Amino acid sequence: MSLLDALPTPRLRWDGRHPNTVLVSLSLIMLAAFWGLDVVSMAPNRIVQGTSYGALEALGWPGALLATLLLSFIGILAWQPSHRHYRALLAAVMTLMALMPVGLIASSYLLIDPELPQARLGLGATYWVVLFVLLLCLIEIRLRLKLTRLWPTLLLCGVALVWWLCATLWLDSLALVQEFKARDRQFLRAIGQHVTLVGAAVSISVVVGLVLAMLMRRYARLQKGAFAVLNFLQTIPSLALFGLLLAPLAWLAANVPLLGRLGVSGIGTMPALIALIAYSLLPMVRNTYIALEEVSPDTLEAAKGMGMRAGQRFWQVRLPLALPVLLEGVRITTVQAIGLTAVAALIGAGGLGTFIFQGLGQAAMDMVLLGALPILMLALVVDAGLGALAEALRPGGTR
Amino acid sequence: MSNSLSIAQPRKRALLWLWPLMWGTLLLLSVVAMSAAEPLFRWIEPDARQVIYDRADFYVLLGRHLLVVGIAALVTVVVGVSAGIVVTRERGSDFLPLVGQLASLGQTFPPVAVLALAVPVLGFGTLPIIVALMLYGMLPIVRNTLAGLQEVDIDIKTAAHAMGMTPTQTLRYVELPLAAPVILAGIRTSVTINIATAALGATVGASNLGDPIISGIVNGNMAYVVQGALTIALLALTVDSLFEVLQQPLRSRLSAA
Repeated sequence: MSLLDALPTPRLRWDGRHPNTVLVSLSLIMLAAFWGLDVVSMAPNRIVQGTSYGALEALGWPGALLATLLLSFIGILAWQPSHRHYRALLAAVMTLMALMPVGLIASSYLLIDPELPQARLGLGATYWVVLFVLLLCLIEIRLRLKLTRLWPTLLLCGVALVWWLCATLWLDSLALVQEFKARDRQFLRAIGQHVTLVGAAVSISVVVGLVLAMLMRRYARLQKGAFAVLNFLQTIPSLALFGLLLAPLAWLAANVPLLGRLGVSGIGTMPALIALIAYSLLPMVRNTYIALEEVSPDTLEAAKGMGMRAGQRFWQVRLPLALPVLLEGVRITTVQAIGLTAVAALIGAGGLGTFIFQGLGQAAMDMVLLGALPILMLALVVDAGLGALAEALRPGGTR
Repeated sequence: MSNSLSIAQPRKRALLWLWPLMWGTLLLLSVVAMSAAEPLFRWIEPDARQVIYDRADFYVLLGRHLLVVGIAALVTVVVGVSAGIVVTRERGSDFLPLVGQLASLGQTFPPVAVLALAVPVLGFGTLPIIVALMLYGMLPIVRNTLAGLQEVDIDIKTAAHAMGMTPTQTLRYVELPLAAPVILAGIRTSVTINIATAALGATVGASNLGDPIISGIVNGNMAYVVQGALTIALLALTVDSLFEVLQQPLRSRLSAA
């Protein structure tokens, strides 16, 4: 069951005179984080621990003033919320996000000694806190303006593009960029592996899930047993399931030459794929089953009355009506699989988890970030994209 | 009324205790007497020099595992339930949509990524995994607290008000007891997920039941992996069946009402 189904639709107060306490407090949090936490850290090379700098040192007084003004602007606008003010708020939030790399460029001019080519700039706590709180502001504004998920997602993609441009053109001194430049081929291949693994696991489990759910509807006795097995699979830690598949697959590859030639081996992609599918099946089957069951019997009766055959009723009535809930299952499964694939790096499946575990091993935190950030972004993008798709497919007015 | 019910079905309640007792006994056995199963593990890994994980005693690992999951669960329950209560009051209702969305965002963040991001800030060890578990376990608790409190019939709340109860009394004696089964179900989901997820902590130096699994993967020793996985699965089953025992009286009380 998705959160959207579980939560009753919140009733929003459209009252111009009441300040929007949510945005006002978020704005105060950001101001406190901006002045209280470290904005950037600077290290002369990769190994040395960096020194941290506050807002004034990192951005200079014009930059610090501009950021303070923009952050307070959010609070002031939210004090007397109206439709127009919410739009202005949306613009302010987006501007702040887009200005973040500009702030970093400023810091790199102010702090980095041009004679130290190895010097690198690290993101401080302020950036993370402000970015997270800005995302919360965006969610709040989206709900108040009653926008679909599509718009904020598109706007965020625009912001990401700005970040990407700034990073490639002017931010050579950023530690993250340096880590990326040191292994850009590897990075792109890792993303490819990650996406391929997730895509393969999810698409296989969609098909298997659909078949299993349909079988469950036909044979009631299968339902209890299958759910028990799938529930049990979820209690095994992902780490263990990956490990447990190593030995049997290695044995199969060694003793059945045909399988070995097909690419089955104890280490690498195959055990990862099998474990991913095993984990994906429970949320997939559960949502597909609920989705197919939930379709109103009256609607199906009407379809029958119109003279539709069983096959037509399934493909033209039941499946389209079940699609939004089914997509919720795909969303949950995919987000979960993106995280689990990172763990699969431990058994040599590649993907972005490689950077995380290598970085943890070398205590190179920027390398850890290089793995963790894209995973996080991938999860958020998939979550927003599939959520928007499910929202768009939901038949109007039936709920 | 709940008293008469629990007297009426003493046998059923006793039967309920059977599961946690059985799983718990198996768990204790596996923790204390893992080495007794050496022939079995020898059969899995005939070539390995050592087949029983011995870098730490299993009961120590189990204790640390429970500690991590317990601390995370305690914080999550306190924060999640109070957040749920605050945003369903008149005063905090502005925050309701945001808290709902925030909780679902917490589960979108993969625990590995959170773990990796937490290490630079908190250092290696137990703290990052506790933070990751807290974020990951927040959604079920907040979601169920919100759902449970909002499901309480408005007529019942009006009746409580008419009897002269203050809002605090209504919350304490009416809303929370009625929402308790749903909230408890949320806590159960959260804790069960986190028992399995806590094993990830072994990758950042938190020593717990994930240790044998990691070292088994690294050394290619299947027996270690099985030992870690078995203990964690037994722990999950024990805790899950304990929750079942806790939930049962709440459910029957409600169905009687």
